[in-house]
Amino acid sequence: MALESTREIYWNIPSSSIPLMYLLSAVATGVMLWGFYRRIRVYQQGETWPPLSGLGARVFRGLKLALTQKKVRRQRGIGQAHNLFFWGFGVLFLGTVLVFIQADITDPLFGVRFLTGRFYQLYSVTLDVAGLVALVMIVGMFVRRFFVPSMRGGIKPADLWMYMDLGLILGTGYLIEGLRMAVTELTQNPELANYSPVGLGVARLVAPLGEASIRSWHFGIWWFHMLLVMAFLAMIPFTRLKHLLLTPLNYILFEDQPKGYLKTLDLEDESAESFGVATPKDLSFKDIFDTDACTSCSRCQDRCPAYNTDKPLSPMKLIEDMGKVCFAMENGSLIDGVGKDALFSCTTCGACMEICPAEIKHVPKIIDMRRNLALMEGEFTGEEVAKAMDAMEVNGNPLGFAPAKRADWAEGLDLVPVEEADYLYFTGCYGSFDSRNQQVAKSLVKLAAAAGVKLAILGPQEKCCGEPARKMGNEYLYQSLAMENIELFKEKKVKKIVTSCPHCFQTLNKDYRDLGLEAEVVHYTELLAKLWKDLRFQLGKTSLEVTYHDSCYLGRYNGIFDAPRDLLAAAGAKLSEMSACKEESFCCGAGGGRILAEENLGTRINNKRATMAQQTGAEAVVSSCPFCLTMMEDGTKNLTGEPVKAMDLAELLVSCLPTESTLEDK
Amino acid sequence: MKILVCIKQVADMESRFVVSEGASWFEETDLAFRINEYDEFAIEAAVQLKASLGEAEVTVLSAGPQRASDALKKALAMGADKAVLLLDPEAPKKDSWQVANLIADWAKPQGFDLVLTGMQSQDRGSGQVSLFLGELIGANSVSCAVALEASPGSIKVERELEGGLRAQVELSTPALVSCQLGLNQPRYPTLPNIMKAKKKPFETIEVTAALDPAQEVLWMGAPEKAGAAELIEGDLASQVERVVSILKDKKLVG
Repeated sequence: MALESTREIYWNIPSSSIPLMYLLSAVATGVMLWGFYRRIRVYQQGETWPPLSGLGARVFRGLKLALTQKKVRRQRGIGQAHNLFFWGFGVLFLGTVLVFIQADITDPLFGVRFLTGRFYQLYSVTLDVAGLVALVMIVGMFVRRFFVPSMRGGIKPADLWMYMDLGLILGTGYLIEGLRMAVTELTQNPELANYSPVGLGVARLVAPLGEASIRSWHFGIWWFHMLLVMAFLAMIPFTRLKHLLLTPLNYILFEDQPKGYLKTLDLEDESAESFGVATPKDLSFKDIFDTDACTSCSRCQDRCPAYNTDKPLSPMKLIEDMGKVCFAMENGSLIDGVGKDALFSCTTCGACMEICPAEIKHVPKIIDMRRNLALMEGEFTGEEVAKAMDAMEVNGNPLGFAPAKRADWAEGLDLVPVEEADYLYFTGCYGSFDSRNQQVAKSLVKLAAAAGVKLAILGPQEKCCGEPARKMGNEYLYQSLAMENIELFKEKKVKKIVTSCPHCFQTLNKDYRDLGLEAEVVHYTELLAKLWKDLRFQLGKTSLEVTYHDSCYLGRYNGIFDAPRDLLAAAGAKLSEMSACKEESFCCGAGGGRILAEENLGTRINNKRATMAQQTGAEAVVSSCPFCLTMMEDGTKNLTGEPVKAMDLAELLVSCLPTESTLEDK
Repeated sequence: MKILVCIKQVADMESRFVVSEGASWFEETDLAFRINEYDEFAIEAAVQLKASLGEAEVTVLSAGPQRASDALKKALAMGADKAVLLLDPEAPKKDSWQVANLIADWAKPQGFDLVLTGMQSQDRGSGQVSLFLGELIGANSVSCAVALEASPGSIKVERELEGGLRAQVELSTPALVSCQLGLNQPRYPTLPNIMKAKKKPFETIEVTAALDPAQEVLWMGAPEKAGAAELIEGDLASQVERVVSILKDKKLVG
């Protein structure tokens, strides 16, 4: 007769040890809870409470993102490894919970044991395999963290203890299992032993020791294992392991705002003592929580255009540094903690926020600190930026051109008065004044005309949308420019706006909403892609081999990846993608108001990006943003080797418009 | 110490200037206006002096049309204590002697210890108003200051001379100093100061003093084009080709 498939829980453990084990576990759990609880007062330095509306949906969101590992697995390779580790350890944890339920609840209270029979066999084999997966992963992660040279910089003081503890928990787990099986299953129920393949291997190894010796080893190692588990519980809040709780909590605390949202400051608030963020008390609860939720995985840093061109900014370090100031509990200077050069190096490209597995919002914090510098100290990254601010204020554009000349580029073009137009073309400062980008503006007007869409411009009355000022922290100047534009849109009863600049697009379409703009806003790539699908214009074919550079504010912030690529395909261009494309696109270097600033630190971002474009073997790098075009023009000029032409998508398309004669031929 | 800063609101120099036939000054339509650059140095110097002296009152003054109030508001936001607009819609067209007299009539009885001005205006560029004013109010005057120190009763000034030379001058008050590029880096007004500026005393005085001009403008306009530069673009080979063809056209090479 086959023996029942089950095992005696707490085999070989004298009943006197059990209460002591629970007592120590309770102490370890207490330390863990205290470790988390004491952080609350750190978070509470931030006076704005976390958003908690719709808590049920928030919790569901948090669990979903945590259990599916959706944000973590996006990093190929290590993301999948984390996934395996998560589920390996997760299964072991669930297994332990089942043991607890049977041993301490159902069995003593109701005499019910469910870890038996087929279910036990399944349970046994599942846990055995899960443990092996977790063990392989922890060893792999340990080797990666401590022996891969590029990773060594990120080692934290407690990392070694953490890896050793986790590895030893898994190792001693197998030892206990093997020792138990050597006495029980190996001789009495060998068939069941097959359901613990790893344990069986250990059991065979230790069997020659003899039962008495095995029993004493088992008892000792069991206690060691338990102490390791307790150490694990207690160290969670004090090591990287804190992310087990803080990352899912950060998913729950997420702020439901459009991508790239920056809060619109109430500048008339007379009770406000200061504007922007200088010290922890200026932050929100969620901001400080963010700094704690960082697991220092360095995915943000790996993608940061500033970090990758040797500038003194790492988004990870910035968050860590902010955290240090917050945890010092002295309401110290965050700006000093982070460093002004770090703050000013940011292009607000958003690659950090896009990849962050913990949903940390780096950029709004950087802007908030820049706001403090700009609004409270009148400080910008350089004299040239202060000059550009002055020009925006006086001339309505950062380039310092006369407002009266704003419509000069459009002379002789097919434009209509605002009231007759299908769309108001918000040209933007670069389209209006920068000679290279005037070509793009002209191209767009011609394309619209070819599609029978009537465009109007505001001309000298249009002002800078205020984006570079806003991103440099000058919320006051941004709001005054924005209000003037919005008043003008209202006065002219503008219903639909098209922009060629993704920065204008983001600003009008998202930022202006807080200030009362209601008109529909589209970027030209979306408008043209739709007109093309509706067969509103024809395109001849180009033979050009191109690569497409995604503008951060068109792509990452607004998800417009397909429209420009559809148009490239429509024109017959052969597209070779750079490896850093779409959500992973690498900034041109001009975002965040940096278009106005000298790039004096590290190497040039645009050169790096131009080199990436060159490596595709394309003849041209096409973008749909005036800042990107400006940066790519410079970047491609600095290339050695095969030349690459920088152009805007509108220019490529207009070159494919059929001429009068080819139209007549058809 | 009572400090007066005289400023002028001028058209942005990138503007497209239009002068009507026979007019003595350019049209003001479609222009962007700003504080005369040199006057910003004067404002900054006054605000810095106030900070270093501890006790000082900075009055900022402009003789100009209504639009000049924007320039005065910015000066208040930079840190001046009160503003006076000598409202005269015709002020931009007046000559230096007339403007200096307008200011002196108001300023002389006020008993300022120190008057700061820009070295010249960016639009008219005569550089005369400040020194006329110094004479009219009986102040010891010095121009082209690139460094400034004040103590009760005396002002120390470093002047920029031609040929890369500098000179240090000490004056007793009342004094007038005109400010040159290099004196300081004018601050960008902070938001709290912009807000505070809205509540600072702002006096508008309509001035009607009709002093005859000391000079007459016979003609104003753009000079005739004397030649044009050509920017040679394109790849290296075509640039070289273009340069060679120009040299040949001009018979500069054989």
